[in-house]
Amino acid sequence: MADPIEPVEPNAASETKEEVREEVLVRRARRGDLKAYDELVKRYQERIYATVYHMTSNHEDANDLAQESFIKAFQALSSFKGGSSFYTWLYRIAVNKTINFLKQRKNRLHMSLNDLDFNAEHDPDLMALISHKTPQRDAGLSELQEKLNAALMKLSEPHRIVVVLHDVQGQSHEDIAKVMDCNIGTVRSRLFYARQQLQSELADYLK
Amino acid sequence: MNEQEANFEALGRLLALKRHEVPPPGYFNNFSTQVITQIRLGETAKDDGPFGRLFVEAPWLLKFIRVFEAKPAYAGAFASVLFLLLVAGIVYSNNPDVATETFVPAASASTSSSGSASLAAVNTGFLDQSMPQTSGLVSSTNPVLSLEPSSSPFGGQNPLLQPVGFTR
Repeated sequence: MADPIEPVEPNAASETKEEVREEVLVRRARRGDLKAYDELVKRYQERIYATVYHMTSNHEDANDLAQESFIKAFQALSSFKGGSSFYTWLYRIAVNKTINFLKQRKNRLHMSLNDLDFNAEHDPDLMALISHKTPQRDAGLSELQEKLNAALMKLSEPHRIVVVLHDVQGQSHEDIAKVMDCNIGTVRSRLFYARQQLQSELADYLK
Repeated sequence: MNEQEANFEALGRLLALKRHEVPPPGYFNNFSTQVITQIRLGETAKDDGPFGRLFVEAPWLLKFIRVFEAKPAYAGAFASVLFLLLVAGIVYSNNPDVATETFVPAASASTSSSGSASLAAVNTGFLDQSMPQTSGLVSSTNPVLSLEPSSSPFGGQNPLLQPVGFTR
């Protein structure tokens, strides 16, 4: 019978206790405690899903890949040495799985985009992009969304992942280097090159 | 350089649109439950689908299917070959004698004259039931006709059929 999950301390001095708690959960999950692993899944599901979704621009694929990543991570927990955080390790699994998936079906990618949330229509920066800067076109947010995703899909997988992790998800160069298992210089140069490509693809919206 | 940085800022604002793309409402409510359920069921990979065990036992089959997924033209060619084989099988099963008749004369034409005579005898023999079969050899192409008891010249008994007793 699995041990019950320890209650979360609400006023925990943030990161340290958070990390400890993660370690506890990982240790329990490694022993086969699915309740502990359920807690870990709930903690990271949104970030993992978002990363995979931004890489594939397809909700159904992102759903499958995110679930498979969590399943694979659970099965490989015994090989997790704790050299990095569980989150970084999990991220690496999801990113590698997604890149392999994209390589396999390179020639038949299709987008299945999620809807924009309510806040998008009230974002002054976005509204400026479609109204003031491009008055000559009747561009709506959904059209802009399609153009942006199409431009992202034209990037190679290593360049796309760097843009997604840094510019969309706000991760640091150091964290991205850990996830991608490369040095920070590589991350910076990929980011620069990817941005240049995106600029030329989306020039109409950036004038 | 400044212009480029400014452009990067504009690009950053545009990329912020991605953060507003959200999955259907309530999507994450059941996400972890689905993951845990799949782990419990031992579904190692969603790719495997309902044939998971089959793919685990025969991984080459999964590779085969993935090749078809990657190159649909291969799947079309494979399906065409299967279809042609199926049609050929149906045609052949409906007209087995036609295939035999067309084959035997072609074979007999390439043999000597005496050989042609014997082959012709065989060719007509398994259809002509009044002909005695002294050698005891029967063409394997038509065994059912040659085993008909009523067609035997030996008083209604076929020499190829021997009574068998199961008691000692």
